[in-house]
Amino acid sequence: MFERVLNAFWILLGAAAAAYAWTLGLVGPSGPESGFFPLIAALIVMGMGVALMLAPSQRATAPEFPRSAALHRVLGVVAGLALMAVALPYLGFAVAGALTMLVLLRMVERVSWTGSVALALGSVVVVMWLFGNVLGMPLPRGPWGW
Amino acid sequence: MTRTALVLGLLAALCHPAAAQSGDAKAELARLKPKDFPSQPIEFTVVYPAGGGMDVAARLLAKHVEQASGDRIIVNNRTGGAGMVGHAYLATQAKPDGYTVGVLANLMWGDAMLRAQGRWAYTDLEPIAYVNTDALTWVGPTEGPYKGMSLKQIVQAAKDKPGTIRVATVPGSMWDYIIEQIEANSGAKFLRVPFQGGGAGIAALVGGNVDLAQGFYSEFRGYLDANKVAPLAVAATSRMDFLKDMPTFNETLGGNEYTWQVIRFAVVPKGTPADRKAYLAASVRAAMHDPELVAEYKKTGAFFDPKLANSSDLAKDLGDYAEAERAFYQKTGRLK
Amino acid sequence: MEALSNLAAGFGVILTPQNLYFCFLGSLIGTLVGVLPGLGPLAAMALLLPVTFTLTPVAGMVMLASIFYGAMYGGSTTSVLLNIPGEAASVVTCIDGHQMARQGRAGAALGIAAIGSFLAGTVGIIVMTFCAPAISAIAIRFGPPENFGLMVLGLVCTLYMITGSPLKGALMIALGFLGAAIGIDVVNGKERFTFGSINLTGGLDLLAVVIGLFGVTEVLANVERLVHGSLLTGRIRNLWPTLDDWRASWRPIVRGSGLGFILGLVPGGGPVTASFMSYALEKRLSDTPQRFGKGAIEGVAGPESANNAAVAGSMIPILSLGIPGNPVTALLLGALIIQGIQPGPLFMTQRPDLFWAIVASMYVGNLFLLVLNLPLVGLWAQLLRVPYHILFPVVLLLCVVGTYSANKNVFDLWVMLGFGVAGYVLRKLEYDLAPFVIAFVLAPLMEQSLRQALVMSPDGAMILLQRPITAVLLAVSAVLVALMFRRQSTHRGGDL
Repeated sequence: MFERVLNAFWILLGAAAAAYAWTLGLVGPSGPESGFFPLIAALIVMGMGVALMLAPSQRATAPEFPRSAALHRVLGVVAGLALMAVALPYLGFAVAGALTMLVLLRMVERVSWTGSVALALGSVVVVMWLFGNVLGMPLPRGPWGW
Repeated sequence: MTRTALVLGLLAALCHPAAAQSGDAKAELARLKPKDFPSQPIEFTVVYPAGGGMDVAARLLAKHVEQASGDRIIVNNRTGGAGMVGHAYLATQAKPDGYTVGVLANLMWGDAMLRAQGRWAYTDLEPIAYVNTDALTWVGPTEGPYKGMSLKQIVQAAKDKPGTIRVATVPGSMWDYIIEQIEANSGAKFLRVPFQGGGAGIAALVGGNVDLAQGFYSEFRGYLDANKVAPLAVAATSRMDFLKDMPTFNETLGGNEYTWQVIRFAVVPKGTPADRKAYLAASVRAAMHDPELVAEYKKTGAFFDPKLANSSDLAKDLGDYAEAERAFYQKTGRLK
Repeated sequence: MEALSNLAAGFGVILTPQNLYFCFLGSLIGTLVGVLPGLGPLAAMALLLPVTFTLTPVAGMVMLASIFYGAMYGGSTTSVLLNIPGEAASVVTCIDGHQMARQGRAGAALGIAAIGSFLAGTVGIIVMTFCAPAISAIAIRFGPPENFGLMVLGLVCTLYMITGSPLKGALMIALGFLGAAIGIDVVNGKERFTFGSINLTGGLDLLAVVIGLFGVTEVLANVERLVHGSLLTGRIRNLWPTLDDWRASWRPIVRGSGLGFILGLVPGGGPVTASFMSYALEKRLSDTPQRFGKGAIEGVAGPESANNAAVAGSMIPILSLGIPGNPVTALLLGALIIQGIQPGPLFMTQRPDLFWAIVASMYVGNLFLLVLNLPLVGLWAQLLRVPYHILFPVVLLLCVVGTYSANKNVFDLWVMLGFGVAGYVLRKLEYDLAPFVIAFVLAPLMEQSLRQALVMSPDGAMILLQRPITAVLLAVSAVLVALMFRRQSTHRGGDL
């Protein structure tokens, strides 16, 4: 089922990209234009999508996507990274990083509170020292100046 | 001549030896320095990759501004989209708090007028100090059928055999524009081979893959010394001090429209507090008065446009150049 | 021989306490930077450029150059241990190196990587010493048609890297090209696939893509399965490569050195391309290609040697011609200019002290790196014992910082996350991710070279056959493709 969906996605993606590439222009006075190679690539994507759709699936078992606890862990990591990307410009690296690590340690793997806080703070401090002082590249500061 | 290194451990020990600054410049700086500023390092943003001409100029500048002002400066390369990403960042995202200074070139105007799609204008970046200018130069081969020819002869050859003389160009930039101008005025027709930068084109010239290349002095000086390229003409208003025998385009082809230069200057985002802006402007100016920096710039082939170096209203003078560029875009149909 | 006496003079310059110190410092920083995922040698060199202002030209250049190849050494460490590449040139090492680590053979993998790197680097430097002028005379002639031929060969080699379904592999390659097309078309300056976004105008950052596809994906996959425990599936054994390992590795090391050196010479080549092509070559030449991907030491020995040899190779155009072939050598060029030195064809004769000191420093640097890295192998291997649930947040933090540090743009973090999720899903559905990355790197170079070649040619596509080097490269590519089809039809197995 998942494979079907993905193959359909490839076909759609390929078609959309091909249409867009067409509008970029294919051939100009001195050879291929901007759209030429993207069109070929997009057609390949589409073609492979079709071929995969039609070919009999050789898999012995269906792909295992995670359930319950495992799924939570995976989603937790994704959420943690998203949190980092959102918070970094506003809270600065120190706070955003520490928060993210707390989330990852606590929610995803259920490390004890003291352990999580210690590790989160410790890692952030070490990384900021490493990049800021050793490598000379200060990381973004938050509204509190650090 | 060796200098003793003062590096302590791994920390970038940027020493600030007492620079030979005039007492005036330093006193002025102290007078203009706002309270509590700067409390953290100032970023000099360069929109081109590390090691390139712009980057070298910015790093030399940063070094001397540090010496002059004692503030910590960090050069940061925000690259992408041939400068577009960095320009847009400075104009729309950088905080106007005095901690971000852009070291830009007039190439920014092209991005603002042609590619910004209304999201920002060049006036969103306020110039604070002029740095230097580099003029585009044409170089020819020292081997092959076109060796020894002057610019006039090559243009004539391009007229006689249209579309055969291969010129290295960087699409969408002054490299293209000057070719356009010459073609329009003389009826010649060149074959433009696109490259990502002037340096790549010059390398192609030396390797015999193109017949003409365009670039800046620092890019071809090594080859010039080794007699692998021959300078043909420079797109400036007067001849260069270090290549007195090389004519200008205006001299050779007549007229005065063949002026294509990279003008480097420092900017701050619009809205930066006036006192911080004044202090930053004074810091850069103090650095620009350092004879050591002037000598270093001269070695890279840059020169100092007197109109801009002595300008009392830099924004207006640069704006004049910008509007002249806009007129060119309108004349050639790139802008309505 | 003149070269030898010059080299001796170079050693004389380098073997002073100050210069040795900076060579060591550069090597150390390079290793550190290579180990940290995301942060590559370019960023570190740019950061340390101001430091070189206060140093003598020799010390400054030597330090920067040492960072460059130090990063190649360090990059293999995280690749092997965590399946997360330290930088783009170490992606390939992840494939087999990490499997070896899982099997308890991290020591062997790291050891072979270090020693292979040392041997390759040394060979590269020796060739450089004696053949630099001759080689540079050929390198300068490499124009767009030759580059095109080389890139085609590289892409063909990519096909060899595909494990599993060829349809999926081709799809990944095509996607890689589309991904790289996002941004500005260098041939005519037009924007492609940017949809008005300023961030996309710059294209997708390679580092963000690589860290996402190989770093974040890896963490997601591990986090799903591992609740407690560490990455190890067995005991740690063999802290050193065994004799069998040596027997299997010495030929890949030799081949990798040669291949890497040549690829370092041409613009757009360099350590990344070299590592991919070496992997493909080893897989192609092996009698048992099915072992690749499951812990074949050849898949570590070849690429790791190749990327170090490529460093030596890429130093030739910059030192003897003044032409930078990749962003790192462009930075070295800038550093030289700032020091007031003019790189170019006369650099060797005008500043022989500096030229030969840099060459000599490469020998010394390589030695430092071997000494630095080998004893640490045992230490690094123990890192695998750390329970994963403590390890991975730290690793992710480093990935985030490393990726962010390249352009200071939060957008790159989103790219990293996006590719991480996509990679996770694709791995589940048995798609091979490496071909995507190779196409992402090579395809735009190929397209650019072809279009440049067509523009400059009076006879259109015929130029590809008229230029001898190009014709040869294309012929070899065609032969390889034909051989591949033949192999497919004789080994009728594998799913579609």
